[in-house]
Amino acid sequence: MLKEVNSVEFKELADKGLVLADFFSTTCGPCKMLGFVLKDVEKEFGDDLTILKVDFDQNKELTAEYSVAGYPTLILLKDGVEVKRLQGLQQKPMIVNMVKEAL
Amino acid sequence: MGVLYKEMEHIIDRQYEAEKAFLAEYEKGSYTIENPYVVVNPYLIAPLTALVMFEAEKPAFAKITVKGKDAAGDYMYRPASHMTHMVLPIYGLYDDYENTVVIELSTGETKELKIQTEAASEKLKKPTSMKTTPEYFGDSMMFVSPTSPAYTAAYDYAGDARWYNTLNLAFDLKRARNGRLFVGTDRLVAPPYHTTGIYEMGMIGKIYKEFRIPGGYHHDEWEMENGNILILSQILERGTVEDYCVMVDRETGEILKTWDHQEVLPVYPTGGSGSQDAHDWFHNNAVWYDKKTNSLTFSGRHQDIIINRDFETGKLNWIIGDPEGWPEDMQKYFFKPVGEGEFDWQYEQHACMVLPNGDIMCFDNGHWRSKVKENYWPAKDNFSRGVIYRINTDDMTIQQVWQYGKERGAEFFSTYICNCEYYEDGHYLVHSGGIGKKGDEYLNFPGASLVDEIESGEVQLSSITVEVKDDVVMYEMHLPANYYRAEKLHLYDEGDRLTFGKGQLLGHITATEEFMTEAPAEPAGMIPDDYKTKIAKEADRVVFKASFDKGTLVMLNLEGKNGTPTRHYFVPTTKRPFLAMCVGTFLEHDARAVEFPVGTENIPGEYEITVTVDDKKYETGVTLNV
Repeated sequence: MLKEVNSVEFKELADKGLVLADFFSTTCGPCKMLGFVLKDVEKEFGDDLTILKVDFDQNKELTAEYSVAGYPTLILLKDGVEVKRLQGLQQKPMIVNMVKEAL
Repeated sequence: MGVLYKEMEHIIDRQYEAEKAFLAEYEKGSYTIENPYVVVNPYLIAPLTALVMFEAEKPAFAKITVKGKDAAGDYMYRPASHMTHMVLPIYGLYDDYENTVVIELSTGETKELKIQTEAASEKLKKPTSMKTTPEYFGDSMMFVSPTSPAYTAAYDYAGDARWYNTLNLAFDLKRARNGRLFVGTDRLVAPPYHTTGIYEMGMIGKIYKEFRIPGGYHHDEWEMENGNILILSQILERGTVEDYCVMVDRETGEILKTWDHQEVLPVYPTGGSGSQDAHDWFHNNAVWYDKKTNSLTFSGRHQDIIINRDFETGKLNWIIGDPEGWPEDMQKYFFKPVGEGEFDWQYEQHACMVLPNGDIMCFDNGHWRSKVKENYWPAKDNFSRGVIYRINTDDMTIQQVWQYGKERGAEFFSTYICNCEYYEDGHYLVHSGGIGKKGDEYLNFPGASLVDEIESGEVQLSSITVEVKDDVVMYEMHLPANYYRAEKLHLYDEGDRLTFGKGQLLGHITATEEFMTEAPAEPAGMIPDDYKTKIAKEADRVVFKASFDKGTLVMLNLEGKNGTPTRHYFVPTTKRPFLAMCVGTFLEHDARAVEFPVGTENIPGEYEITVTVDDKKYETGVTLNV
């Protein structure tokens, strides 16, 4: 699953299995590109991975809670616990490997 | 307007063509000392040089004197040769001036030549203040390399420019053991200032070699006794910069050995200075090899540390810096200040050196001057200085034994760049080259990034170069621009003999990282003029320049033809907030400007270039054969 969520929706889903949070901004080219990469990643994992896109500018409390200093930032959560974090635009294999290690 | 496309010859090729042309011209004539052949700026990039050629009747030694604007400004040298076929390099001309050059042969013949030079552009800065004496400074020249719009240039005792170079040369300039110069190239591999490598160049401007490094070059290089060169670099594809050093074979340009600072230091956010980020976590701005200890000393601005590593094994030996905030397992590498004398740690330092007695010298910029954000110093209260530390690696203690600059306060404060030089005990150069003011306020960040404000005069950049002998200031030059380093050299060096023939392009540029995911986009015809697209092709790279609003998704696509695979490159349009814009001379006035080089050595084939801008894919009309 890949969907854009607000803080409330995020908290409902964040502790359910393997979740990849994408803190993005609509004003950021790398974030736009990462969006296309994540669509490919979603195809790779299907129901094994939930990808939640969080608008950095619209969810300040959440970004503070997760100490997200910039965008794009990817945080991989397993049952709500942070497993790994990547900052900046990433290529598909990097993300796929990160998720596979956490499965 | 459409897309501007041009094929650019490498400067080595251009110089070779120029050389063939003037040699052919010379062959057509019959030149003697009375009627010599003269070519000004023979290698196209050093306008205050010339070449004089003629056939002497008998083998002779030549003595050349470029007459000064006053007697102390005479520049005299004796090219080391005994010959009839005279090829005499002329150094030390003034710009926009009818220079008098006297050639005297050991056979008694003399010729006085008049050589007119062109006026330099405003990038040849004139000192706003120069205090020294010809007795002290002699016929030395102070070379400075810019970080804001200006030329790399050399100034005599009077502050007159006697040499400059019109290429956008970057970072360090130093004399090689063979008498030539090493200097960073003008060719970008990655914004904002990482260039292809270093040039080995004669003072006359001829480039004999370009040493290309896969990860690009920044800041500093060091020549080993055997001629091999240590060059500061990075591994671009891992997303960090300025944390890697390579040793390059002097003959082949191949990499012989590497030192990766990520192997011995904790990275971001450990030990972070006020300018650290994850991308530029160390900011290695100097390298020094010490033969006595067979070790390498590196300066890392963004951790406020100078580190020493074993040359062979790369093992971390020690760290000079404020240990506050560093993890417990790293504390054993730090020194403890002892003694009664004054002591300050260095912060965001540059140009570390190991002196003959083992002391460590550096330029302490002092930027932020604390490991704790709440205690950062404002520029108006801060200072920069040259400093010498005495270290004892047995008991890991440190003392401060000399400094210059603290007493000058903010007027000598540079947040970035700068260097020191050691001549002998008590005799040093301290170059504060990164001073910036906006009105009455001192800048607390590198001013080189403020391209428009510099041009409008809203921001004033300056540089102060001082030589101190036994605590007396013997030389002080102020220039109205920022200069990375200052280096006192002679124009003439016996080893720097002009040899004809084509220069060499050595080493490799890394293959630019391709993006595996293609952004979906609809065909939208030719790219609009608004994007101001320019494409330049060189022998080893294609440079894409355009103008986009911040945050636009841009991909450069090389659409393969006739079986050549298609390649996609993600072009960043969101400017990284560079906290260390060490060299601003590659920056454009247009804040929307994007420059993206693609290395083409490893991607042979035929390509059509298209550009994806958000959800549209545009044609450029450019076909490349690589």
